[in-house]
Amino acid sequence: MVGKGLLEGMRVTLKAFFGKKETLQYPEIKLTMPARFRGGELELDNKKCISCGLCARACPNHVIELTTGSDEQKKRYLKSYVYHSGLCLYCNYCIEACPTNAICWDKNYENARYFKEDLDVDCLALAKEKSGTTTVEVAQGDKTEQEDTLKRREKDE
Amino acid sequence: MLRTETFTLNMGPQHPSTHGVLQVILELDGETVVQAIPNMGYLHRGIEKLAESRTYAQFIPYTDRLDYVSSMGNNLGYCQTVEKMMGIKVPERAEYLRIIMTELNRIASHLIFMGSLAIDLGASTGMMFGFRSRERILDLFDMACGARQTYTYIRFGGVSADIPSEFIPELQRFLSDFPAMLDEYHRLLTGNEILYHRLKNTGVISGQRALEIGLTGPALRASGVDYDIRKVEPYGIYERFDFSVPLGQVGDCWDRYIVRMEEMKQSASIVAQALEQMPEGAVMATVPKVLKPPAGEVYHSIENPRGELGYYIVSDGGVNPYRLHVRRPSFINLQVLNEACQGLLIGDVVAVLATLDSLMGEVDC
Amino acid sequence: MQEITGLFRIAKVLRDLLGQFIPDPQLVDICMSLINIGAIFTIISLTAVVLVYTERKISAFMQRRSGPNRVGPGGTLQSVADMIKLMAKEDIMPAGADKWMWVLAPMLLFIPAAAVFVVFPFDNKAIFADLNIGIFYFIAMSSQSVLPFLMAGWASNNKYSLVGGMRTVAQMLSYEVPMVLSILGIVMLSGSMRMSTIVAAQQHTWFILLQPIAFVVYVITATAEINRAPFDLVEGESEIVAGPFTEYTGMRWALFFLAEYANLFAVSAIATTLFLGGWNGPWLPGWIWFFLKVAGMIFLFMWFRWTFPRLRIDQLMSFGWKVLLPLAVLNIIVTGIGMYIYEFFS
Repeated sequence: MVGKGLLEGMRVTLKAFFGKKETLQYPEIKLTMPARFRGGELELDNKKCISCGLCARACPNHVIELTTGSDEQKKRYLKSYVYHSGLCLYCNYCIEACPTNAICWDKNYENARYFKEDLDVDCLALAKEKSGTTTVEVAQGDKTEQEDTLKRREKDE
Repeated sequence: MLRTETFTLNMGPQHPSTHGVLQVILELDGETVVQAIPNMGYLHRGIEKLAESRTYAQFIPYTDRLDYVSSMGNNLGYCQTVEKMMGIKVPERAEYLRIIMTELNRIASHLIFMGSLAIDLGASTGMMFGFRSRERILDLFDMACGARQTYTYIRFGGVSADIPSEFIPELQRFLSDFPAMLDEYHRLLTGNEILYHRLKNTGVISGQRALEIGLTGPALRASGVDYDIRKVEPYGIYERFDFSVPLGQVGDCWDRYIVRMEEMKQSASIVAQALEQMPEGAVMATVPKVLKPPAGEVYHSIENPRGELGYYIVSDGGVNPYRLHVRRPSFINLQVLNEACQGLLIGDVVAVLATLDSLMGEVDC
Repeated sequence: MQEITGLFRIAKVLRDLLGQFIPDPQLVDICMSLINIGAIFTIISLTAVVLVYTERKISAFMQRRSGPNRVGPGGTLQSVADMIKLMAKEDIMPAGADKWMWVLAPMLLFIPAAAVFVVFPFDNKAIFADLNIGIFYFIAMSSQSVLPFLMAGWASNNKYSLVGGMRTVAQMLSYEVPMVLSILGIVMLSGSMRMSTIVAAQQHTWFILLQPIAFVVYVITATAEINRAPFDLVEGESEIVAGPFTEYTGMRWALFFLAEYANLFAVSAIATTLFLGGWNGPWLPGWIWFFLKVAGMIFLFMWFRWTFPRLRIDQLMSFGWKVLLPLAVLNIIVTGIGMYIYEFFS
């Protein structure tokens, strides 16, 4: 019969009309992200970080800028850690490269910002806030300070 | 004196139906197309040049972004090219995981094709249904690697991580639901007489002409040429699977549509077979941390959902490739737009573009 | 529910009420006419607003979504929000547009869409104007909506709009002919073009049972007349972006939009009157039956839109002239022969 396919199509849409709806009422209901979700901003645990710089070297896009200093016992510590989220590809290389599991994703996907400057995240400051240590000037005890920038790009201060 | 002349209509880069930012300069005589020249380059990001300043491993996330809808395939092509250069052997379990992921991605990509074809021709319900099914596949990928569209899952020597324990039951649930979903699409779209008459005998590309131009993928197979790289030069472990390659006869839009719908069914069967046969074991071979392939050049190609995706790498022995060129199927398939659209109406141009299934990220690279 | 035996009863009550305050009977007539005009306008504007919301909800449900559900209870105030937004938009006129034609086009489109509401029989004796050429008036007024499309298409100084405008003229003119011929079958059966006579003639059997082919032809041509899918290549959206409407924003575009929905109501109301028995029906008051049947027809038209892809222009033209026109003529021949045989035997 001519038009049989058309009637079949109409039957499909009628069945969908009375069927279950798939809309999720956001923001009342938010989906939980799976365990391996790559998104949001990098979360640094400054106690675990040994300032080796492998994450910055592994990154394809020079997203992580970290500076290390060494204190009087010639031990390396992390001086600053900036994550340029605007450049990030979310490829996971930094997290896979880290030998101590010091960084991870914070799984927060609602990270739109109004200003471009807010995309540069100071992970070390956030980590210190979270762990409760005050942001005391660590350069107090430094006598021999070796700035060892591990990023390849020139940055004028 | 009265005379008619042709006028130029610009289906500009911003248009609901060019799949991405593509400009098609149409020269029309009334409603009939005299010339349809695609003008690409609006999404050019210089990925091939970027490759020269990244190490081999750092380039994998960039390959995701070429044909962003079938990222697993892009990753696979690149990784297999470098493995060919270095002579790295991939463990068994990783091979099976690669097959499962790539074939699932083929289904997802063809669902996008079906959805955009439906909405370009006016049946927006078809698009909603297609994308809803694709969500199931994206949830699977999210579970396995944490991303929904740019995976970076396939690495040199295997895959980045083994699948979590909830992946296989979820995958089996999807495979059991999939035939019902396909049947619904066939009832809504394939049986529809209006769609049939829109697509039948429009944009005919003969097999001979397709071979001359270098068309690959479902567009070539719809023109009757039996060329699927998975059968002709199997890469990975494709020779262990039993699947058929659907062929068209005429090479019109309808054949291209039917070929892709059938391919979805075949991909689902490959995934089911791979699930059964998959052994336990390691998912990553031992690969040197700093990759320095020997100086030379290599070309390797795979069957992406859009056609033959090939990677040509010239290495000079250093950590960065000296030159990397991607043979992009959408770019080469798009050349045929002008001759396929000769003498058609404006509405047919939309149908031909949709069935050629070009993705601008891949066309412009 | 109050005991109402039809809208005519309400009218009579109002007339008596007015007659107590105003001595002059002619003045009472004028007042009643003004009230009628007000009622018709209310129906027209309410129709458009309600149908926008209905369309969005129905389309959403057919696509397994929820549709508008935030603004107002269940999303019912969505149309109000849309209207406010459209009124607040900047009024842009394209450079090089033919000013007066461009401005007049949406208004001239809305006028016929609204003017046909005067011949709808909402209830027994509840028609604004019971013309003895009722159905002919409808056909004449709805043909007037061809020209404003062409005006909009030409005056926009835009190639997409021009293509859309040309397509409209071709489509609407081609589908007028089968529509008129399908309606002719009804006129033959009822013997008159007056709307109330047609409805009265359907008291025992609805004409859809006697004229099924005419019903199918009417539904298809009505979809083409109001430019809805599968015949919406005028506002192709995926080919010519919005056809003649491309350059209109804000309230001007809203007028086009409202005209489209008013047209939708109009053709559904005509289908109800001609084929589905108008306001006839057991126990419930007549006007409730009328609106229920119109709602059913509107659902049918929306169902078509959200299921089918659109036709190409040459397929559309050949379908109209080569399939629908012969079908409609065949219907008239069969009806004529059938009527003759019926009279011969009774």
